[in-house]
Amino acid sequence: MPEIKLKHIVSCSSEDNTHKADNLLSSDTYRKWKAARPGEKQVSVILQLEKEEQIHSIDIGNEGSAFIEVLVGHSTSVKDQDFEVLLVTSSFMSPTESRNGTNTNRVRFFGPSQLVKATAQEKWDRVKIVCSQPYSKSIAYGITFIKLHSPPDDNDAPITTPPKLTKLGQFRVKDESPSSGSNIQPGSLFFSRESTAKSSTGLKVSPQNDRLSYATAALKSDGSSTHSSPSSTSTQQAPVKRKFEFSKERLEVTGPPPKKPSSSASAESNSATSKSKAKTSATASPISTASPGQKTSDKRESPKSKPEPKPKPKPKPKSAEPVAFNRIMEGVVFVLSGFQNPFRAELRDKALAMGARYRPDWTPDSTHLICAFANTPKYSQVKAAGGMIVRKDWVMDCHKTKQKISFKRYLMDGSESSSESEAEQDESEEETQKTKTPEKRHVTPKKQPIKEEEEDYGGSTDAEGAEDDASGMDTEDELNRVEMESRRKKTVKESAGVVKDEDPYGGSTDENTDAEEEEDKPIPELPDFLKGKRFYLYGKFPDNQKRQLQRYIIAFNGAIEDYMSEKVQFVITSEGWDESFEDALMENGSLSFVKPSWIFAINDRQKMLPYQPYTVVP
Amino acid sequence: MVFFVSELANYEKNVNRAIHKYNAYRKAASVIAKYPQKIKSGTEAKKLDGVGAKIAEKIDEFLATGKLRKLEKIRNDDTSSSINFLTRVTGIGPAAARKFYEEGVRNLEDLKKIEHKLNHHQQIGLKYFEEFEKRIPRAEMQKMEALILKELDLVDPEYIGTICGSYRRGAESSGDIDILLTHPDFTSQSEKQPKLLHAVVDHLESIGFITDTLSKGDTKFMGVCQLQTEEEDEEEYLHRRIDIRLIPKDQYFCGVLYFTGSDIFNKNMRTHALEKGFTLNEYTIRPLGVTGMAGEPLLVDSEKDVFDYIQWKYREPKERSE
Repeated sequence: MPEIKLKHIVSCSSEDNTHKADNLLSSDTYRKWKAARPGEKQVSVILQLEKEEQIHSIDIGNEGSAFIEVLVGHSTSVKDQDFEVLLVTSSFMSPTESRNGTNTNRVRFFGPSQLVKATAQEKWDRVKIVCSQPYSKSIAYGITFIKLHSPPDDNDAPITTPPKLTKLGQFRVKDESPSSGSNIQPGSLFFSRESTAKSSTGLKVSPQNDRLSYATAALKSDGSSTHSSPSSTSTQQAPVKRKFEFSKERLEVTGPPPKKPSSSASAESNSATSKSKAKTSATASPISTASPGQKTSDKRESPKSKPEPKPKPKPKPKSAEPVAFNRIMEGVVFVLSGFQNPFRAELRDKALAMGARYRPDWTPDSTHLICAFANTPKYSQVKAAGGMIVRKDWVMDCHKTKQKISFKRYLMDGSESSSESEAEQDESEEETQKTKTPEKRHVTPKKQPIKEEEEDYGGSTDAEGAEDDASGMDTEDELNRVEMESRRKKTVKESAGVVKDEDPYGGSTDENTDAEEEEDKPIPELPDFLKGKRFYLYGKFPDNQKRQLQRYIIAFNGAIEDYMSEKVQFVITSEGWDESFEDALMENGSLSFVKPSWIFAINDRQKMLPYQPYTVVP
Repeated sequence: MVFFVSELANYEKNVNRAIHKYNAYRKAASVIAKYPQKIKSGTEAKKLDGVGAKIAEKIDEFLATGKLRKLEKIRNDDTSSSINFLTRVTGIGPAAARKFYEEGVRNLEDLKKIEHKLNHHQQIGLKYFEEFEKRIPRAEMQKMEALILKELDLVDPEYIGTICGSYRRGAESSGDIDILLTHPDFTSQSEKQPKLLHAVVDHLESIGFITDTLSKGDTKFMGVCQLQTEEEDEEEYLHRRIDIRLIPKDQYFCGVLYFTGSDIFNKNMRTHALEKGFTLNEYTIRPLGVTGMAGEPLLVDSEKDVFDYIQWKYREPKERSE
């Protein structure tokens, strides 16, 4: 089901200064369109499609609307009335949810059976989205995204649809804590789909190329998803080759095994959100079969019937002091690490709403690093710099309780109990790991962090209000990112340097933002255990090990030689002693032959280890 | 005063089959009944919502003369009084009544003579005519309710049943008993499940509560029931008209709302719903789109939800007798 491209916004009844209707054109699903003022009775936006097309299915991410209707029309028609209903007014929030401001970001999929048949069979080039929110006068509402899909091509369908289905199928309905409601992180699932779309269709240059590439750029700097798939593929090549392999690699990305984009890409966000997603369409296959009524009820019932899924992550903080909400985190200057959008944005917004300030990178005035798990590069950097490293629950709990809670109990010292492991969690974690390429197991070796991450999404959306306050920041960040991105592009040619920065991050789904933002620093906060050492990988390696080795060596600032030369100091082989090694020794007496386990051990221990125990002997 | 307007209403419904005129009179009757003072003039009545020039005129005539020519005429008119009478037999509607009237049928005796021409429903109606004319005291309704709910639970504890109608609105007496039934297995998405209804009907028959069947479909049963006489009862209970409707779970509360009435209340509520951009019927409440097209059925988990959607303060059943 190819996604239909949106060309421009024809008009909209009103738009927020920050959350402009234009945001709907971008692929960043966390960028939304909101009405200018809260309490508007009805808001609408008209989109121009790139060309006349039949609309087969629609995905909508809500932003506070109670009802959403989708109509279609022709740009040639004179009257506004000529719009015809494609998707009848559909419920996204109940009155109670509207009044309480809960579950504002539901995502619903509407398959062909849920669209008005007669309308869906014709071609249209304009889409009008009408949102209404009669139940709350305090929400400025709109939508976070809309995705339109044309009918599946015969060749296309089997490639793109199955992964999504399997994906959803693999994840089980997971309970969330009531406080979070059924917050479906808008579009996080689509990051994966996005990347598929981007890599498969996006590269076939489209007329809106500049916008698209911007979108891709932003997506890359933010949503880890797209980033990781190209780079993880690319690292298979030796870095020296990379330069000229680059374009080829990108092409390669276009035809990965069906599962890959969605899985390796935003596995994290997938596993997190597909819980909620699975809920949305729990009973039926995600898109088509469930009838509207049923779907709604599934959705609605699930949050209600939700039992507390697990023991509260933390005991309720008692040492809370009453402070004005927007001053709870006054004086806090925080940096984020290891969080993916859209949660990243949400977390940041919450902290900003409470009066904290945000820095993309660790700066001397930064006070806290809010970290998803312990092995992120920023973690090491901040640890070395002596900053406070806390878990995201600090922000979430402060925000939830609207109280100033000491960060001390949230300090990240790696001593959290792992007793929270539930069957479900383990499963989804397996999912996460399975979907990652094998070496990522080593990148994220601990179970703990992943679990943490999942909880993140579970315990999230309480109030969306914060976003308004933070919106200014958003834009700035955006600009930053674009800048970074363009800089990055420039430097692509001198790839060696960039590769060093990029590769180690490429595989880890969590770190792209950081990678991007920090690349102007001379040395990334990665450990350089292998600095100045030159390696040659000899022979065959089992299971992708070669790629892992390359990644680690580069990550630790070592260099990999493309062929045997006198510069090489270490030959890594998994095949034991080889006759040719003697010859090589004759040439270069200082050569060492070592097993791959040396590199892996360095990674596991995160420190330099003597190579001697790992040498290969005749 | 209310009576004469209501009588006009019935006349329009039964004799002229002018349902809108009937509704207009009903509305007027309702609003006059609610009016706190005694109406002293047509002009005063005309201020009320639902009373127009014509009805005001009639009120003036009634106030001035103590009677209404139109009504006198209707009362003296053999046609209308006979037809009105015949429609009191269940199973005989305005159309059938007119047909029988044209065949010379004027009263109960005439009907009994042509019993072979009556369908099953009408025969039962004839058989129990006197009993069905009698109102059901609230106490008896309560007794039947208790019995039915108890038996429902025996058949399958998952059944949900509500006795609707004026009884639910707290009326002191009722004309018949109207039960809405649902079961979690039955939704608008699932297949029809006549078994769910028939199991209940069969069971109530087996304990002797249901005595006759007027009609039995997949989702609606119409019949006759009678409470068993117990020792402390002085006389036998009468036969009562009973309707049982099986409703999909997701439409249950819209159904309960609808069948609780009153019908005037329902009309007002629908009007209000439309003003708020919703269309409400006995099955669903749906939002209206910009083109007026109804949207998807909204999730309704209680009567309150419906009020909530249209931003109306919830009204208890007993506050719905307009």
